[in-house]
Formats: sequence, C-alpha cells, structure tokens
Amino acid sequence: MDLDIIPNGLAAGSLYALIAVGFNILYRPTNVFNFAQGDLVMLGAMIGASALASGLPWLLALAAAAVFVGVIALLENAVAVAPVVRRSSVSHAWIISTLAYSLIIDNLVGHAWGPDPIRVDPPAPLSMTTFTVAGMRTSSYQIALIVGTAVMILLIERFYRTRSGKAVMAVAEDRDAALLRGIDPGRLSRWSFFLGGGFAAVAGLLASPVLYASTQLGPALLVKGFEAAAIGGVGNNRGALVAGWILGLAEALGGSVLSPGYQQASTFVLLLVILLIQPRGLFGQPEARNV
Amino acid sequence: MTALLKVESIDVGYGHVGVLEDVDLAVEQGSIVALVGSNGAGKSTLLRAISGLLRPRRGRIVFAGTDLAGAAPNRVVDAGILHVAEGRRLFRQQSVDDNLELGLYGVRVGRSDAASRYARVFELFPVLAERRRSRAGVLSGGQQQMLAIAQALMREPRLLMLDEPSLGLAPIIVDQVLEVLLRLRDGGTTILLVEQMVERALEIADYGFVLRNGRLIGQGPAAELARSDVVTSAYVGAKQQH
Amino acid sequence: MLDSPWLGRAAILVLAVAIYAFPLIAHSDYRLYLGTQVGIYLLVAMGLNLLSGYTGQPSLCHGALLAIGAYVTAIATVDHGWSFWPAALAGMAITAGAGALIALPAFRVTAWYFALITLAFAEVVGGMLVEWGGLTHSFSGVVGIPMPSAFGRSFGAAQLFWLVATIDIACFIMMGNMMRGRFGRGFIALRDNEIAARASGISLVRLKMFAFVVSAAVTGLAGAFYAVQKTVITPDDFTADVSIFFLVVVVLGGSGRLWGAALGTVAFFVVPELLTSLQAWRLLIYGVVLLALMLFAPHGLQGAIAAGWRALRVAFGASPRPPVRPAEASSAPAVQPVQGIAVSIEGLLRRFGGVTALDRVSLAIESGSVHAIVGPNGSGKTTLLNMICGFFRPDEGSIRLDDVEVVGRSTASIARLGVGRTFQTPKLLPELSATENAMLGAFAAERASTVEVALWAPRARREHAALAAQAQHFLGFVGLGERVHEQAGELPHGQQRLAEIARALIGRPRLLLLDEPAAGLSLTELDKLGALIRSIADLGVTVVIVEHHLELVADICRHVTVLDRGTVLAEGAPDAVFADPAVIAAYMGARPLAETAP
Repeated sequence: MDLDIIPNGLAAGSLYALIAVGFNILYRPTNVFNFAQGDLVMLGAMIGASALASGLPWLLALAAAAVFVGVIALLENAVAVAPVVRRSSVSHAWIISTLAYSLIIDNLVGHAWGPDPIRVDPPAPLSMTTFTVAGMRTSSYQIALIVGTAVMILLIERFYRTRSGKAVMAVAEDRDAALLRGIDPGRLSRWSFFLGGGFAAVAGLLASPVLYASTQLGPALLVKGFEAAAIGGVGNNRGALVAGWILGLAEALGGSVLSPGYQQASTFVLLLVILLIQPRGLFGQPEARNV
Repeated sequence: MTALLKVESIDVGYGHVGVLEDVDLAVEQGSIVALVGSNGAGKSTLLRAISGLLRPRRGRIVFAGTDLAGAAPNRVVDAGILHVAEGRRLFRQQSVDDNLELGLYGVRVGRSDAASRYARVFELFPVLAERRRSRAGVLSGGQQQMLAIAQALMREPRLLMLDEPSLGLAPIIVDQVLEVLLRLRDGGTTILLVEQMVERALEIADYGFVLRNGRLIGQGPAAELARSDVVTSAYVGAKQQH
Repeated sequence: MLDSPWLGRAAILVLAVAIYAFPLIAHSDYRLYLGTQVGIYLLVAMGLNLLSGYTGQPSLCHGALLAIGAYVTAIATVDHGWSFWPAALAGMAITAGAGALIALPAFRVTAWYFALITLAFAEVVGGMLVEWGGLTHSFSGVVGIPMPSAFGRSFGAAQLFWLVATIDIACFIMMGNMMRGRFGRGFIALRDNEIAARASGISLVRLKMFAFVVSAAVTGLAGAFYAVQKTVITPDDFTADVSIFFLVVVVLGGSGRLWGAALGTVAFFVVPELLTSLQAWRLLIYGVVLLALMLFAPHGLQGAIAAGWRALRVAFGASPRPPVRPAEASSAPAVQPVQGIAVSIEGLLRRFGGVTALDRVSLAIESGSVHAIVGPNGSGKTTLLNMICGFFRPDEGSIRLDDVEVVGRSTASIARLGVGRTFQTPKLLPELSATENAMLGAFAAERASTVEVALWAPRARREHAALAAQAQHFLGFVGLGERVHEQAGELPHGQQRLAEIARALIGRPRLLLLDEPAAGLSLTELDKLGALIRSIADLGVTVVIVEHHLELVADICRHVTVLDRGTVLAEGAPDAVFADPAVIAAYMGARPLAETAP
C-alpha cells in the first residue's frame, strides 16, 4: 500500500474539517445549518485568488476574503435567516431560504469569474514541491495545512471558553434562559454569521493551492463539510476535526482502490451507517433534556 | 416609600388568546411582594411580560421611572430586573462556574469585584462552592434552583423576580431558599415572588397580589391576605382548609 | 352561485377535456413535446410534494431519482430488449428501493440532515452514472430508447401524451384521495407535530417509509417516460440543478397543497422564455424566486390564489369562507360502552440528570374508574403520564395495562392497546380543521387498505363519511359542535384541549389520560368538563386525570393519588385525602407539620 495516502488524506480531511467548523460556528447560536456554506467557501477562494493575482500579499488577501465573505454571510442572516426564523422558530423554512441564497451566490460568482479554475501558489516559504519523509511523499504546504488546521480549531475551541463563547453555547442550549440573563441572541447570531463566513473564506483560500480556486466547487464542498460535521457530531469542532481526517483518509484509501465515483458512494454509505448507529455523530453529546 | 416597579393596566396574550387583562401591580423598594393564584391564572405570563419575553398589548411597566413595556429582555436586565424562570432554566451542559460567569454577561466588573460577587453567592449557597466544576445538569433539584438564583444574583439586581422557586423541592430545601430571600431583602434587594405554596409565600412576603383567570382580584399586606377569603377563592385547593 | 359544488366539478371536467384534446389542437410537434414534458415533470413534482410538502422532508435528490427511473428503463429496453412496460415497472421498483435506502437515516435525524443526505445521494448517483460505464455507457448515455408499444403498434407522440396525461390525472386523483383519508392527516402530523402522531397510534417509521417509497416510485415512473420521450439520456440531463428545479416548482405552486405541484409546473412552462434566453441566469432566478416565496408567500401560488379567492368572495358580498354544510347526522354513531383498562404500576423510577422525577412510584388504577393524580408542580405527574403512554422509558420499574407489560413498547403500540392521551399544551395540527384533527385519532382504527383509499373505493368512502360524522359527533360531545370546521390553530387554548379529548375519544380508548384539562377554563366551562369526564367514564373508560383543580377532582373522582417530589404522598378517596394534613401541607405550602405542631 502506498503510504502517500496518509498526508494526502489528512490534508484533504483538514479542509473538510475547516468547512465543518464553519458550519458549526453558525449552527451553535442559531440552530441553522447553512446550506450556502459551500458557496461561501468557494466565494472566499475566488476573492482570495483574485486578490493574490492582483499582487496583494497572502495575509492581506486572506483578510480581504474573510471580511468580504463575512459581510456576505451577514447579509444572508439579514435576508434569508433572521426573517424566516423569526416567523416560526420550529419550521424548517430556513433550509429552503439558505439554499436559495446559495443558488444566488453560486450563479453570480459563476458569472463574475467564469468556469476556469485559478491556480493559487502557497504563501512563501511554503510550497507544493514534494519531498519524501518516512516513505511518504508530501509537501511543506500539506504539512502546514494539516498542522495549521488543528491549531486553528483548537484556538476556536478556546474562544468558546471565553464569556462570549459560553454565551453562544448558552443560547444554543436555552434561548429564553439566555435572554433572561441579558444575552442578545440576535447579536450573537450576527457575529456568528460574520465569523462563520470569514472562516469559510479562510478555508476556501487555504484549499486553493491544493484544489485550485474554482466556481464549480460550492455544492461538493457543502456535502463534504456536512459529512464531516455530521460524523463528528454537529456543533462539535474537535469531532469535526477527527471526522474530517477520518473522511479524508477513507477517501484517499478508497481512491487508491476505487475510481472517484465509487469513492463518493462508499463515503455516502459510511455516512449512512454512522448516522444509523449514532444519529448524533461519533462525538456528539446526547441531548440531556429535562421535560 | 415609592414603588420601584409599577405595572399599569397591562393586557398580555399569546396569539389570539388573551391571558392578562388590565392588571395593575406595584412593588415597593426593599420589600418582598408575593404574587399568588392558581395554575393558569397568569402569574408566569406577568413575569414574562415584565422581563420582555412577551410584549404587552396595552399598558405600562414603569421601573425606577422608566417605561420598560415592550423593551428587549437585555434592556430589562440592564435596568436591573433579573427573572429566575420556572423550572430551573440553567445551562445544563455548562459547569456551575460557567453558569455563574454567564450571570455576569455584558457587565464590566473588575477582577476583585467579580471575586467578591462569587464569594457572596457562595456564602449564600455554600453547597455550590463545593460543586463549582460539576455540570449544572447533574446537580440535584435544590442545587439547581440555588444555582439559578445565584446566577441572577451575580448581576446584583435591583429587582429579583422568582417564578415558583419551590417547584419540586423538599420542604427543608424550600426553607433554605426562602431564608435566602429574606436575607436578600434585608440586604436591600427588592423581590417579586410567584409561588404556588401560598402560605409559605405570604409568610415571608410583605405584601401580596392575587390573580385569578388573568385578572387581579385582591391585594393587601401579606399577613392580612393570608387570613382573607380572597386567596382561598382564587386558590381552589384552599377549599379543604377548614 | 359561488358556493355551488357543481362549479368546481364543471371546471375540472373542462380542464380534463382540454387536456385530452390538446394533441388535436396543438398543431405542432414541439408544442406536443412540451405538453408531454409538462406531464412528466408534473409527476415528479407530485411525488416531491408528497414527501417535501406534506410530510415535511425536503428532498434535494428527486432529479437523481428521476435519473434512476430513466436509466433502468433505458438500459432494460435498449441493452436487454425488454418491452417498455416491464422496464418501466422495474424502473419504478428500483427507484422505490433507492427511496427506501435514503429513508433509513430519516428515522433518526431531523429534516435538515435529511435534506443534506439527499444532496449527497444525488451526487453519488451523478457520479455513478459516469463511473459505472459498463452499465450506463458513461458520458455517451443510452441512445435510441424505443417508444412504448401496445397491440403490436408503437406509440406516437400523441399517444405518449395521452398516456402521460392519464397517469397524471390518475395520480392527481389518487393523491387527492390519499390526502383526504388517513394518510394525508398522518403525513401532516409527521410534518407538524410528531407527538400528536405518536399519541394517535401512528407508527412514524412505517408512515415515513411509505411516503418515501411512494414518492420515489412516482418519480421513477416519470423517469421511464422521460427516457422514452427524450430517446437519448446522458448524465448531463440529471445535474444537481434538476433536483433544485423541482423543489422550486413545488414551493412556487404551493408546498403541501394538492394543486401546488400542478400550478408550479404549469407556471414554469407558461413562461418558457425563462428557460431559454435567461438560461445562464437560471440558478439566480431560482434562488430569488425561492427566497421571495419563503419570505412573502410560503404557501406559493395556491396559497395566493386562495387568498385572492377569499378577497373576491368578499367583493361579491359573500362570506370569506364557503358556508359549512351540516354534518350528515344520520350516521352518528352510538357511543358504545367499553371495558376499561386496569393500570398497575410498580417501582417506577426516572431520573433526569441529578433530578429524580419519579422515585419508585407504585400505583394501581381500577378498570373503569376515574382516578386523579394531583400534587404540586414538579411532583412528577406529567412524567408519570409520559411513562404510561411510552414517551419516556423508566429507568426502573414496570407498568402493566391489563397484565400487558408496556415498558419498552413504542408509543404507537401502546396507543393501539387503547390508550388515549391529551396534553397540557395542546398538540393539534394547526392548519387542519377541528374535524380533521379529531379524525387523526382514529388512524390506527381505520380498516380501508391503501389501495381502497387511493381509489376512494366504497369502503374507504363509507369509512371516511362515518369517521367524519363520528369526529363531529365527538366534537359535539365535548362541546365544540359549533366549531367543527374551524382551523384548529384558530381555537382558543381551552377549546383546543377539548378538541384533543375528541381526538382521543374517536380512537375508542379504554384508558384515557388527561393532562390538566381544566387549566384556563372558565367556571361554566369547568362544569361542562366535569360532566363530560363523567359521561366518558360512564362508557366504562378508565380515566386518569392530572389536575390542579381540586374541586373538579373531588367532584368526579373516586380515587386520588397525591404525588410529591416523585413519591406517593397519599392515596384514597378524595374527601379523606384532601383532609389529610400532610397533603394540605404539601399542597398549600404550609410549614411541614413537625414545625407547626405545638
């Protein structure tokens, strides 16, 4: 067996985890699973790639993409989520409204950038040039991506240990009780949309050196991110990291045996089996509700 | 003395259905006021309207001179009204410490001020000090109720509203909780208490209001109210009290 | 004139004639082709409306299901020489199987998970169409799919149109029948209130599976027609956009409304420019349309038309709603006596986190008695009811209903033993009428088979009429005779609770669990409730009532159990129990006796 699948799988899995964490950031205070997340990631990649092409340094390009997509996500909250959820907090109308928003982004971005993928070079001194370590072919960017993802996710988890983070978790658990403690869920939702959008952009640009920046990626990233989030337990960021890696490794392993179409099918079956056995994912907490 | 809170002829309802009609209520600074009545009389609805979870259709809710009717819950909290809801609504997945910290959400407090607030609630509820790291969900019912009150106290409220604090608790725990309310009152906190245990509530209260089917049917000094028929008539359970 | 039932029937007849005459007046192959395509899309939209609209499970894979039906038909006819008919059947069956597969996780996860699972499934199907080249011919697709033939003659375009139109009309009528019958109520209960569904004895798993399989089978059949109409199918025909297109169609027409699929499909073809000159902006238009609908017209065109129609009626001086036809009183059922269930509970223990809600409660309830469970808030009364009807499992202990152990049984199976239930916060289906809500309670008791219901066969029709009469009878029985046709969501709280009692009664319960039926009732309503409960008990039904209103309890109950903090504090006849100082202390919150005693 080819040992290359380990760095390849972990790198791909890191991207899935990043997308899943973007979902979770939005989901925690709102209980809305953003169907436009895949397109936000894609939009971030396109803006970042264009910014780089115009000569902006990496960090600035990353910041520009994050802020821009954060604002687009804020707008999504304003037009497609907040009004729908306000009308009825129980119905799932937001599924269709966020899906609608994703179609709008998808189409507009497709027209703005066209179908051709844009090549993005990793920030210096990292590169995609491969070398061999312990029998595995990898690149410095791959390694940085894997490590960087883990660090970022742990940092985000640290944020949830701050008072604002705890407030977000409080809203997730009991919105009315949070209201009675002076927490404004609307404000936290807006912040979460902004940050979740920004995070999506970061994920998109980081993925670009590996996947190229392409307007075609939205729906596929949505599904991959969902799979990682669902397997890891929705709302659980560490779970998303582990699940992303598991998915990435499983795919890389499957890819060395099967062709891509079957690989999708086997991932899908894996997801079905896990959800049948553990509907809350591998690391999801059981809901302890007192009725 | 002046009223800290004045509710003036409010109507409140859910959807098509009216729950409260033309209710007036006043809470004097530094007193414990009991609000009693049978299930479904509208007591919790009144508290929810005061704390901004429900918007009254009509009327004013004047707190320390400001009309808060229809204000967002966080504004009500900032004004100094803290509502301990029925059923020990805590953040069960988070620890006792985290729950207390959330009681300080949005409040700028220095390190020493925060420490003294923690010390104060632990002094009131020593049992919480022993369980700071436990998840709120695994506490006993009495401990959860204490934590819910402690969480509200972290903000040093001017008016503390409690909805059925005795719910499901053993009598000895109820005693402890009511004891704490008396201490809080003596420390200057004004308290509005909704309680199904009428006798206990009127025992510690200074003044009482009686609700029945969404209307105010009586009020008076608690001791007088406890002896009057108006409570018994509002509280059907009292029929057997002869 | 506006209210004549003939107006509606005449309109439908004219519509049907116009549809069948279409090939004769189309005068163009292209128009006929489009007409057939409308028919095929309509089938898919109806299938999707069943699943996403009525049952509330948004699917993003109906394009993929269409592909499965089309490919199976195409491969069977082209590569294996089957005739169209068995090939189409195989297409339906295999698509139905795929529907069953994606239904599996839907039993355990919420609707939005399901939507994403269907999205993933659609991707998988899309990938397989390319990858599994040995079967699907990959990108080149299946070419030369033959028209169906009958009696040795191959179909022309007109015959295909007629066939599709006939199936559409049949499907529409059957769908209408299903929705009128118990399935419609059951589906809407799955969507709007699963607790109401479970309390009415509906097995969620079976009914959901049924919705998935039917929806997929209809879509698979549409796929068969799609294949023969296009004669060539390739993976490009079934991109992700196709699934979204159908979702837009259904939401546009009116999701969960009978005419929704038809209105949505037709609307899309009436504006054909949209599909050609604006092709590049299609997704944007879908997105904007969907978003606008979700924000401003969640019930789509049908909802808008209904609102317009009401406005028109008012303009013509009629009342906004058609007058209510009085219930056919002839078939009003005699309310039959039953043998009540005896309940025996032993050592019931239930903890929620650190709180013990029930602490080894034992309790016996005689058959045919009215038994009250009282106690302060939070003493475990509702938890006890939830255990008896299977919403919660106890941590320890046993519950026997007439010697049948029910711990571990599903809510639906307990309901089928003859256990009816009402809730503290009424759980009705707000969009349905009071009558339809009451009829939901008979779900498990209905006997007409699926086919009979779909064809509205005499038995289904009789059962429906009898049930409607019964529903109105029971609504009259609980005092809602005047409001049988009102939407349940419009009823005041207290009356919703009465409607729940009617829903429970129609299932002919032998044990009726009432959770605070008197809360929020006025004094006169209270008297009526007392009389109602007594008359229910007179039928032999065992009634267990959780109630704070002790006067009512003393009035109607032979036996009272007082719970306090999860344990039984006292039990016996009401007079004795309410005179017990310990009970008064617990209830009224007097100081415990030890402290007040001199």
